[in-house]
Amino acid sequence: MRQGLIRLHCGVIEIENVSKRRGRVTVLDGVSFVARPGRVTGFIGPNGAGKSSTLRILLGLDHAQEGRALVDGSPFTALRRPLTCVGAVLDGSGAHRSRTGRAHLRWVAASNGLSRRRVEEVIELAGLESAAGKHVRGYSLGMGRRLGLAAALLGDPGVLVLDEPFNGLDAGGVRWVRDLVRTRARAGGTVLLSSHLMSELAEIVDDVVVISGGRIAARGTLDDVTGGHGSLEDAYFALTSS
Amino acid sequence: MRLVWVELCKLLRLPSARAGVALGLLCAPAIAAVSAPSERSAAVDVAFLELMFGVIGAILLGVVAVSSEYRDDGEEAASTRQIVASLTAVPSRMRFLAAKAVALALTVGTTALLATAIMLTLLAGTGENLGPGVVGRGVGLIVYWVLTALIAYGMTLLTRNGIVPLVVLLLNSSVVSFTYLLSRVVPAANYFPDLAGPHMFLRDSPSGVEIGPVTGGLVMLGWTIAFLAVGAYRFQRSDA
Repeated sequence: MRQGLIRLHCGVIEIENVSKRRGRVTVLDGVSFVARPGRVTGFIGPNGAGKSSTLRILLGLDHAQEGRALVDGSPFTALRRPLTCVGAVLDGSGAHRSRTGRAHLRWVAASNGLSRRRVEEVIELAGLESAAGKHVRGYSLGMGRRLGLAAALLGDPGVLVLDEPFNGLDAGGVRWVRDLVRTRARAGGTVLLSSHLMSELAEIVDDVVVISGGRIAARGTLDDVTGGHGSLEDAYFALTSS
Repeated sequence: MRLVWVELCKLLRLPSARAGVALGLLCAPAIAAVSAPSERSAAVDVAFLELMFGVIGAILLGVVAVSSEYRDDGEEAASTRQIVASLTAVPSRMRFLAAKAVALALTVGTTALLATAIMLTLLAGTGENLGPGVVGRGVGLIVYWVLTALIAYGMTLLTRNGIVPLVVLLLNSSVVSFTYLLSRVVPAANYFPDLAGPHMFLRDSPSGVEIGPVTGGLVMLGWTIAFLAVGAYRFQRSDA
């Protein structure tokens, strides 16, 4: 399986000593961690702790004053067909309200030289068959999430970066995302997902990175981080309240 | 080339962009239909003056090409800012901006070409003499529309929101021309892009200041490059 090999080579996320200020406010202060292939890395912390800022810097959307964020040793912005390497969902679908879900997926696919057949495949994968022909302004929040995930899967990437993927999803959606995440990691993919809800993460993550006030409070395997705290939730509150 | 095609698809699927194309095509014939034939000017000169107003379609296209990327429908909406999808699919900001600019120029240029062809064909149908140099004037009009659209594009890269550039540019080119009023007081104001540019296709200048077609075009090109450079600098440097 050639594709499997490529996946293994497209996988390590390295965040190295990233600091970001907005005006006088320090948003991130020397953030460092690694997300590895074959593992689901949970990036947890309270709202405003710097989770989204870190992921936005990783994807080249925001600029950091210091440090660097790399995918397989190079910045995301240096990738020519990034969708085949990294699939990302940040704050929603990224689709304009006046487009249909299918039209949105088609332009995203075309920008990376991916086929229309693949568009139909991800529509089916995300369970959007009946919604794909409708305008995004008529979508529920959960359908918007599914559309975002469908776009992230277009290039069958080795890396998935998901910011608060469970927001707005119904029970079926939550289950779908959990299965997806586990399946991708088992196949050798790297999954980095952020959440402020512990209960959703405890069952699916292998590694945990806890961020609080723009600094990393803890990182390691699930056992490392929860060790001595009873549960991930207890660990989370102990680490983020100090 | 692939990215230009993508940006064309993105632009032309937006209802507001389609309205811009329609406005560009229909504006001049509509004005011609409701205004009385002029006794004093040659019909072809009037036609070019009417075609000048179609530039509002070009402005709309230039603004929407950028503002659609930043449209935010609030937390409860399934639609979110498209710029995030755009830059995660095409992370090189300069390639993205260049592809968008080319797609915009192609759309506006084609619209201007069709509008000019329609007006001049209608005019020729009435047996009117189009006069010498009509092709050059037509090219001048197309260049004027394209450069105006690119100025609107650069301006919206600075503001991100479409409202300010739309209001400023549309008012100025349709209702009250601030630059024209200023030019009555300060002669140098004739070198504003919207006053210098029309010398590419208008024969008698409304302000009385003589600027040749090539000079007018170069002055407008300079403005366009300046707006694009400042807009691109802002886009490259700031957080998306």
